Amino acid sequence: MQTLTVALAQIAPRLGMFDANLARHHELIEEARVRGADLVVFPELGLTGYLLQDLAAEVAIRLDDPRLAGLAAATEDLSVVVSFVEESADHRLFIAAALLEDGRIRHVHRKLFLPTYGLFDERRFFAAGDLLRATPSRLGAGVGIAICEDFWHLTVPQLLALDGAQILINVSSSPGRDLAATNEVGLGTATSWRTLMRTYAQLTTSIVIFCNRVGVDESISFWGGSEVIAPSGRPLFGAPLFEEGLFTVEVPLADLRRERLSLPLLRDERPELQVRELTRIVAERAGLAQDSTADDLAETGLDVALGDAVREPIGFRRGGGK
Amino acid sequence: MSAIAGADGAAMFDLPDELAIDTDVARQVIGQFIRGQLRQAGFERAVLGLSGGIDSALVAFLVAEAIGADQLLCVLMPYRTSSDASRTDALVVVEQLGTASELVDISPMVDGYFATALASQPDAPPLRRGNFMARQRMAVLYDRSATWGGLVVGTGNKTESLIGYTTLFGDSACAFNPIGDLYKSQVRQLAAAIGVPDQIIRKAPSADLWPGQTDESEADFSYPVLDRLLFWRIDKRRSDEEMVELGFDPALVARVDRLIATSEFKRQVPPIAKLGPRTAGVDYLYPRRRPGSAAQPR
Repeated sequence: MQTLTVALAQIAPRLGMFDANLARHHELIEEARVRGADLVVFPELGLTGYLLQDLAAEVAIRLDDPRLAGLAAATEDLSVVVSFVEESADHRLFIAAALLEDGRIRHVHRKLFLPTYGLFDERRFFAAGDLLRATPSRLGAGVGIAICEDFWHLTVPQLLALDGAQILINVSSSPGRDLAATNEVGLGTATSWRTLMRTYAQLTTSIVIFCNRVGVDESISFWGGSEVIAPSGRPLFGAPLFEEGLFTVEVPLADLRRERLSLPLLRDERPELQVRELTRIVAERAGLAQDSTADDLAETGLDVALGDAVREPIGFRRGGGK
Repeated sequence: MSAIAGADGAAMFDLPDELAIDTDVARQVIGQFIRGQLRQAGFERAVLGLSGGIDSALVAFLVAEAIGADQLLCVLMPYRTSSDASRTDALVVVEQLGTASELVDISPMVDGYFATALASQPDAPPLRRGNFMARQRMAVLYDRSATWGGLVVGTGNKTESLIGYTTLFGDSACAFNPIGDLYKSQVRQLAAAIGVPDQIIRKAPSADLWPGQTDESEADFSYPVLDRLLFWRIDKRRSDEEMVELGFDPALVARVDRLIATSEFKRQVPPIAKLGPRTAGVDYLYPRRRPGSAAQPR
């Protein structure tokens, strides 16, 4: 496959209306097939809508749900990424994205980072995933799937790339905010995301595919602006803000090899260095070693030295220092 | 601070630089918001109270742009002391947009209440009368909401909400509000961009509860200063010291802080005593509209 045809399904899911959204997915998969797509990407929680709150449990599906199998069945000679609320056998609810290929479920990613600050309240309603794996795919290159906030943590694109992903797919329900006239594209959120995606594409020398929804849930408007970025960090396509549509993009796969040979950042990565230093930082945070950036007389597990008045250790054990 | 000019080239208002928004994006977001709110609720029409002031005029333009003028009913609800200019300006908006409109004189309802129910206190203070008028208008709007078959669209802005210059269950009552996160200066900027007539943008904002009343004389501030203060204090979380460094008078900052704190209750839904296993708004949390709740599913 020399050229990958990506179809970005920038849809406005109906909140809580699983069957209506499922029907729309089937329609768009067929339309994308007719338009020659190799890969179709739907946004985060495209099958359910985003601001579910207590509805999450009512629209959740298990991975053996026949409706998911039905979607998978529609993917002969096609790769499709869909997103939904996944209920595990032990009844935890995850925000999940599945890669469906050739009639079956190829891979499932559970959202790792659940924003619970500002306008977000995800941790109240969902469990965080524990696994991050790249997956081989019929597209001829490794695929890494992430969901929205996952991409606001440097580790996610980096680990996916080190694990063999050459195509990084982020599916999002990103709420638009900050209309300051000084923003590059008239929307603060869009400006931030564009910076992230170009940076990740360049630093991981990977193709970055971003599919963000449009439409409104309650107070929140989702801004769309789905994109495909080349491994050089150069944008290949940007969908319009706020407009629903199925957008197809031709992505030259040969650029991956060229870019990785000319800019061998991944070859030069030092995962063993990261493991060593992260092991130390984790130990320091857990009070198992003296924090190297703490005050001189701080007890292990704390980073501020207590005043002279305090004689008895209150931390984990008496600190080193002197 | 930039001066924004009208069609005649003369300055209409001052727009603080940090408050300037991308009005094209704002119109896209608000249009999508209005359509989304109506669709989720299963409605196609909207109704609003049109005062002749800039806030409700802007919302009328935004709703007409989002769903078409023929889907909007503008209700003019003057009291006998309301200024004629307000009504004239409101009718200009109705005519320019081509929306349906109705005139409901609230004087008999308001005067009837104060004359009979409160015969022993005929001289109710203006604030009390003003609040009662705002709630009468709310009652009329919700009645017309049923007859017109449309949702009530809110017209309050962020500045007045933050300082509590609103009547609880009065002018702040609505099904949804497209401009409640825009400061007055941003309302003016958006109004100029969308084509609200210059004379409406230009005139001094007023609750029009008694002759000659204006927001800025009543509260003793100017909107550009107050908007900047609120922006840095609330949106940008600046401390007391940082506000002084930005050039704000500490006494004004303290006064506005008090207004914000004392009006917090107006911006929230009333608390319910927690007694049962699941309590609305506490641990029974659903979207306002969900499958099965729409009035007329489409």
